[in-house]
Amino acid sequence: MTQPSHKPFLGFGLGLRAEHYQDILERRPKNIDWFEVLSENYMIEGGKPLYFLDAIRQDYPMVMHGVSMSLGTTDDLDFDYLKQLKALIERIEPLWFSDHLCWTGVDHKNMHDLLPLPYTEEAINHVAERISRVQDFLGQQMLIENLSSYITYCEDVMPEWEFLAAIASKADCYLLLDVNNIYVSSYNHHYDPVEYLAGVPVDRVWQHHLAGHTNDGNLIIDTHDQDIIDPVWALYEETAKRFGPVSTMIERDGNIPELDKVLVELDHARRIAEPYYQA
Amino acid sequence: MSHLRDLQLRFQEYLIDGSEDIEQDIISTEHAIAEHRLGTYYNAYRIRLIDCLAVDYSALEKYIGREAFENMALDYLQHFPSTHPSVRWFGENLPTYLRDIYSGKEAEFLEELARYEWAQTLVFDAADSAQLLQLEDMAAVPADAWPGLTLNFKPALTWLDLFWNVPLIEDALDSGTEVPQKQRDDFPRRWMLWRHDMKIQWRSLEVHEAWAIEQAAGGANFAAICEGLLEWIDEQQVALVAAGFLKQWVGDQLVLNLDND
Ligand SMILES: [Fe+2]
Repeated sequence: MTQPSHKPFLGFGLGLRAEHYQDILERRPKNIDWFEVLSENYMIEGGKPLYFLDAIRQDYPMVMHGVSMSLGTTDDLDFDYLKQLKALIERIEPLWFSDHLCWTGVDHKNMHDLLPLPYTEEAINHVAERISRVQDFLGQQMLIENLSSYITYCEDVMPEWEFLAAIASKADCYLLLDVNNIYVSSYNHHYDPVEYLAGVPVDRVWQHHLAGHTNDGNLIIDTHDQDIIDPVWALYEETAKRFGPVSTMIERDGNIPELDKVLVELDHARRIAEPYYQA
Repeated sequence: MSHLRDLQLRFQEYLIDGSEDIEQDIISTEHAIAEHRLGTYYNAYRIRLIDCLAVDYSALEKYIGREAFENMALDYLQHFPSTHPSVRWFGENLPTYLRDIYSGKEAEFLEELARYEWAQTLVFDAADSAQLLQLEDMAAVPADAWPGLTLNFKPALTWLDLFWNVPLIEDALDSGTEVPQKQRDDFPRRWMLWRHDMKIQWRSLEVHEAWAIEQAAGGANFAAICEGLLEWIDEQQVALVAAGFLKQWVGDQLVLNLDND
């Protein structure tokens, strides 16, 4: 399970959701290039989700995306979890797997949320060391994703993009750059999202997420239950300019429309990014 | 303790019970003060886990109503915060919680409804069985092998003993049909649940079938099951009745294979 040293480009994909299982198997749409699957949904013994996972895997490339590795927690790494992840990796042979630059709980509790870390040297060293151990255990490099966040800590000593880049370099891992999350966090913390992009090393970025969100008036909440808004599309265009061909997919987790409606959004992403890939 | 750990413990304490110590660590801006920013996480934590519980216990939610369900779920979250990396296991302790927190006949009913719904989730996710025994396979068993026959059942099968007619009520709540009257028997009735073609099947068992399947799953052979069934069945009929159960279980697609002890 080694990975190519050059940046693989899978094209334009979707997050696989149970609502679309049947439709995908029946129609096997050609304008979906690949799927991202949520690892924890398939950490079960058998039944329907695994049936569809295996069946859809036969026709499409897949990558795995987790929410529970808790790379930033100060609890020990959870090797039971990592063993389950390893079993799933062996089952579906994804092109890569990813998780978030966050912590999800401490003291053996799980808040099931992606909680932000302070941007400090202490946190860089802590997280990078854990990513290295995960990569050693699983025998391959992983991708880490930037969050949508609603808070920043008083003790932060650098901007988020510096924190992200430092960890990727120190752990020698790749990045899943979520364009919507950059937009959301830049709005919530009042910085320029294009400056964020400029601070991220081009070679490290292997995947993008796109998604919709909700604005509560003061903060934007990363709900994944709306269509993608124009300012996020504009930022995606900037992203394509800077990073070139990067495997891109849409995350939709709530208020999930028919497959065809999500595919219209996916075609929109294609139309925005592809002109920059020819150059 | 490291500085980072200290910070995480303060943050988590806030999420769990609203302790405000973490506010000093968070930047306020013109747009949103620390309290409002933190509140986003506080609320999201509750909504996410209540929603998760409502998926696993959808009939319970319909039965007691959304508002009562939310209050119950918030209290459950205080007593049993999630400790598992997969949120799928968060609701595991709800039947225990209902039994311990509430009292009387209503609590017994709610606990049974919750226990039944949880059993459904387990059967839904249980391991697959590549090959199941078919009725034709049974015809091939020679007559003299029958007394020593034992059965291996598939993993996606369970049963539970319930005083209340919970499966009928759950089924009606789930399908939106008219909910039958709640009824309590003097003795618990055994209900069997299994998965077939990715769907949950269920039926109730008469007392002698309930006894027989438990024995068979525990490794008792056909002769021993016949002997035990004498408590309910005539000696002339007993082998026929026991063989009838076996055929029924094979027909229900419950049996992986036969052994001979
Ligand atoms: Fe994302």
